[in-house]
Amino acid sequence: MSLALYQIIIIFFAILMISQGIKNFFKRENGQTFIKLFVRIIVWGGMATIVAFPYASNFIASLIGIQDNVNAAVLAGFLLVFMMIFKLLSAIERLEQQITTVTRDRAISHIHKESEK
Amino acid sequence: MWIVIPAYNEAKIIQTVIQEIKAAGYHNIIVVDDGSQDNTYEQARSTGVITLRHQLNRGKGAATKTGIEAVKKLGAHIIVTMDGDGQHNPEDIARLIQPINEHHCDVVLGTRLKNPRGMPWYKILANKIGNLVTWYFYGLYVSDSQSGFRAYSRPAVNLINTKTDRYEYDSEVIREIYIYKLKYTEVPIEVRYTEYSMGKIQKQGLVNGLKTLYKIIWNIIS
Repeated sequence: MSLALYQIIIIFFAILMISQGIKNFFKRENGQTFIKLFVRIIVWGGMATIVAFPYASNFIASLIGIQDNVNAAVLAGFLLVFMMIFKLLSAIERLEQQITTVTRDRAISHIHKESEK
Repeated sequence: MWIVIPAYNEAKIIQTVIQEIKAAGYHNIIVVDDGSQDNTYEQARSTGVITLRHQLNRGKGAATKTGIEAVKKLGAHIIVTMDGDGQHNPEDIARLIQPINEHHCDVVLGTRLKNPRGMPWYKILANKIGNLVTWYFYGLYVSDSQSGFRAYSRPAVNLINTKTDRYEYDSEVIREIYIYKLKYTEVPIEVRYTEYSMGKIQKQGLVNGLKTLYKIIWNIIS
């Protein structure tokens, strides 16, 4: 089986993302829960499968009633965009929490001086 | 016992709120100015209570947590949180802390819906929807999941670890009660809906309610 360059790149990224998720799950990092890991495996695993075996999308297409595999690929593209937005929102949320922590620490830093007044 | 008051743009009323609490016999008060654009900080500070300031507006939940973290450092055994707009009656504080002192409760939730006299119908409806959303996502049904008038024992605040910054904070506390199986009770409180408190745009309205719902769902899936 010969793989095109784009297939190798996407499969590499999928493996990287899944392995990162598994590492986070076992190390309990970044709030990685089982559900998050499951979603990650489904999305990236699914993407890698479709890329490695393009005709697998025919099976999915017939399974969910989509007429041809091009439509299935478009659907997969939507999933990818959704995943990217999800990651972006997660990053913003993490930043928001960090800003709050810094703001809080600054506010509390003078508490003992304040209480002595 | 310490009283924590998160305040955002409450310069017009914060002094009255503090004086009322002092008149009710409570002097351990901490105000957290949540990055107000008016002079809430100066007004609160001039009353002599401990006043902390968020350099940036981070939301009611974040300000409440800042106050709680601060009074933990001061050795508080019981912590009461109340809003800075004067809608809560300081006379209710005694009834709020009684279950902690006498029955070893962990958390006491002030509830407006057990005594909804004077409460607009749409606020009652919004609260009931908030209760159902909180129950559905966080597993515990309480009669006023959005009330900011609450009392906590020290062991409870040591366990409760909220992450949200804005109005979803109130529901998140309910989740923590459920997760840690904290002993809680609900106490009816009086709410004074004044022209001032009803006129504030950042209060929990329909848009903020939808934002809160989105945040609750987001925190579960993210």
